[in-house]
Amino acid sequence: MAKILRINMNDLSYKWEEVPSKWETLAGRAFTSTIVSEEVDPKCHPLREKNKIVISPGLLAGTKAPSSGRLSVGAKSPLTEGIKEANAGGLTATKLGRLGIRGIVIEGMPKGNDWYSIIISKDKCEIKVTNEYAGLGLYDLTTKIWKDYPNKPGIIGCGIAGQRLSKAAGVFGNNIENTDPGRYAGRGGLGAVFGSKRIVTIITDDSEGKAPEPKDSDKFTESITKLREALRAHPVTGKLKDDKGKPFGGLANYGTNILQNIINEAGGLPTRGFKSGRFEGAAKISGEAVHEIVDKTREKFGDSAEGRYGHACHPACVMRCSNVVPYEDTGKHHVGPLEYETAWALGTNLGIDKLQDVAELNRLCNDLGLDTIETGNTIAMFMEAGVIDFGDGQAAIELLKKAYDEKSIEGRLVCSGTKSAGEALGVTRIPVVKGQALPAYDPRPIRGIGVTYATSTMGADHTSGYTIAAEILGVKGKVTDPRALDKAELSRAFQSTTAYIDSSGYCLFIAFCILDNDDGFAGMKGSVDAFLGKDIDVTEYGLAVLKKEREFNAKAGFTNADDRLPEFFYTEPLPPHNVTFDVTDEELDMVYKDL
Amino acid sequence: MVKGSKASEDTILMVEFVKGETFAEFIRRMGLTRDELGDCFIDGTLTRPQSELREGARVALFPFNMVLLCGGQHLKGHGYTRDDVDVDYY
Repeated sequence: MAKILRINMNDLSYKWEEVPSKWETLAGRAFTSTIVSEEVDPKCHPLREKNKIVISPGLLAGTKAPSSGRLSVGAKSPLTEGIKEANAGGLTATKLGRLGIRGIVIEGMPKGNDWYSIIISKDKCEIKVTNEYAGLGLYDLTTKIWKDYPNKPGIIGCGIAGQRLSKAAGVFGNNIENTDPGRYAGRGGLGAVFGSKRIVTIITDDSEGKAPEPKDSDKFTESITKLREALRAHPVTGKLKDDKGKPFGGLANYGTNILQNIINEAGGLPTRGFKSGRFEGAAKISGEAVHEIVDKTREKFGDSAEGRYGHACHPACVMRCSNVVPYEDTGKHHVGPLEYETAWALGTNLGIDKLQDVAELNRLCNDLGLDTIETGNTIAMFMEAGVIDFGDGQAAIELLKKAYDEKSIEGRLVCSGTKSAGEALGVTRIPVVKGQALPAYDPRPIRGIGVTYATSTMGADHTSGYTIAAEILGVKGKVTDPRALDKAELSRAFQSTTAYIDSSGYCLFIAFCILDNDDGFAGMKGSVDAFLGKDIDVTEYGLAVLKKEREFNAKAGFTNADDRLPEFFYTEPLPPHNVTFDVTDEELDMVYKDL
Repeated sequence: MVKGSKASEDTILMVEFVKGETFAEFIRRMGLTRDELGDCFIDGTLTRPQSELREGARVALFPFNMVLLCGGQHLKGHGYTRDDVDVDYY
């Protein structure tokens, strides 16, 4: 029977609760968003006592279901001031699943200046003063923790940025090998909520745990087999090499950064602070470039080379889109993973085309505990304001390093989020929705994602409803007017399916396959149904999550006027297609009109 | 196709223009087959087999496993990569 661990930081106590029957089917994002919406005062200050952190492994985490070890972290966001769920791989979800923990709810905040860690193992919880863990870079911290806790635990928590309540702070997680703290539930400033409760880490040891039992084992096994086969056979999510030894799966070979060149060609790659849709240096920082440098350093340094592609972000992953970028001159681990969004935020968006500079900026974010998308956009504000130049990788690195100095105002500002920094620096082109910075698809040529950015409960978020292709096709209305497609319906359908997947524990990337392949879809739905012993309607389940999130945001004070893009997207045409975002307010309001 | 090309650089090949040539005819001329290709573009717009090339066009070719990572092509009316789907809005 799954349990809830409820921790009260006011008096440093905890209790185990049964999962109430009304929450029986909830996990992952459905669990975090339900508890946040039912238990957190929508008007509360996100960095004070009344906010809560809710952590939940996806429903199937810890089972043998392929790519099912995702973790959801939820709270009221200090960045958006609305509800937030951020999602990550790493070790913790699998381990919590194996300990039978459906969720952790953290309430209150302690008095005094101590820093704490929460240590979880089979039926045990300890809230421990760990002042020695505070103030450390996260590479050092995760290494230290694996020495202190030899059972190779999952670790999540906040770094220096979160400990200083910076709004760009993400929740880090260690990777499977504990060589990088780069598994981030990055968005929305949730690292700062950890910091506000003076929690540096949550350490999860599952050595006495076991895989959770599905209600219908036969159907579960049959379903996950179907899904696994569909994933492995799909050219995007498939295995690393085909039967003849040639590169096959796009994600396994090139990671999510496979998108760098292709979105560039489509003219939707936001460049130098959303001024162009094409970046002349895209190929140099692309997934293909990472693949090339990994092969090159392997050839040169043999077994001591640490660069990787086809790397798994969590134990059950079969898609393996993660990577490790090596230092070119030594072949040693520089940073992992370098994702598309990060290569864009810290590369393309800053006009930086040196892969090693981008990797270094990524490593600094991982070490400081920062969301790369928010931080890249924040550095772009410094460039937009003329403090440093677009394209100057070394200046960006020096700027970010100032964040280690707690007395540095520039250091604080670079961690404060795009909106805060942009306003402080007098920038008027600030790419945020609901206070959260836009990711790596320009909403002008890719209008469907623009609708998702505008209407998502999470602020500008590409993962909330990934509607890229149809809209790119409709860029020029050549084949048909893109308006003929019901964008509101498209966006809502994708947002609800996304909410379901974010709750199942499956990685959102299975969508690339399951929406193409009926067997894959049946495998996904069948495995969730078999696990719960219930027939769950995908869209209804997802819509119920969205509804709760919308209600929370409404009570927090959000209205339709917040479901808009910044003005410059409506007025500045983006080359090369020279289009503006021209979806009307009425069309945007249609997305959630009848919810 | 291009000697000395690198994954970390754009590979550019100048090709003679043939008036009235469609994308399907063009890739045949290049010695490629449809199943070797993923999403491809003409002047930044996703192409279909019957799309016609114009003089001076920028044609972008991506291999079979490089697509817009979208999923749900049949729902969203994807152009080139999927021809075995029931519904194609385009």
